[in-house]
Amino acid sequence: MPLVIFIDDSETALASTKMVTDSMPIEVKQYTQAQTALAEIKAGLTPDLIITDLNMPVMNGFEFLKALRGVASTSRTPTLMLTTETKPEMKQQGKALGLTGWIVKPFQPAQLKSAISRVLRLPA
Amino acid sequence: MMMLDSIDKLLSHIQEVQLDVIELSGESLMKMSGFMQKNGLEIDDDISTALQYQDIITQQLTATIEAIESMKKSIEMFSHAYKSDEGLAQQSIVKLQEKLQITLQDAKDKKSRFSGKFDAAHADDAIEFF
Repeated sequence: MPLVIFIDDSETALASTKMVTDSMPIEVKQYTQAQTALAEIKAGLTPDLIITDLNMPVMNGFEFLKALRGVASTSRTPTLMLTTETKPEMKQQGKALGLTGWIVKPFQPAQLKSAISRVLRLPA
Repeated sequence: MMMLDSIDKLLSHIQEVQLDVIELSGESLMKMSGFMQKNGLEIDDDISTALQYQDIITQQLTATIEAIESMKKSIEMFSHAYKSDEGLAQQSIVKLQEKLQITLQDAKDKKSRFSGKFDAAHADDAIEFF
């Protein structure tokens, strides 16, 4: 099964995404700190899709994305930003850093499932 | 100067209350999601939205906590200048006012930025692929 990792400093946000993705044919790993996810990726974890929050302490979503692109195994891994941030300039910054897409919270469960299925090309 | 000390204490109290609200609202929704998972209940749009509103609440309150911290620092700098040289008080109060204005603008900007789709202006935003 494809591996999807979620990064969000909010435990309720992670609980929400877990409940949404439980019924999908994917393996899910969750992290409350981007730096922990990055360390595991550098140690060999190879996710098929990364979904990350933007505003997080210590390492924010953009900093994580920049570091992610510097790791050979994840230089092109599809990555979605899942955030409360709505500024167009921020979306442009994400796009320039190689983001696959931008999801504004609160999302509808069907929307998130659809986005994951689309990126991973899962059967409908 | 006693007035500034009182304001500082009041701001500290507001920060503590906001931190408690963040913690309580998070615990409340984690208990709800735990109950749902334990009983095999499927998440629907409303519950999903409720869980995600907690994240918005946290980010909004955190932004105001940061604004209060900035205000406290500006007041502290003013107090220090006032105590060391009363002649500088007038200049310092102008600087204090400027810093508080910047803090207010920054806080308002964050309120708008961190509202997600709760802000009606973005209610129709769909998932955007690049």
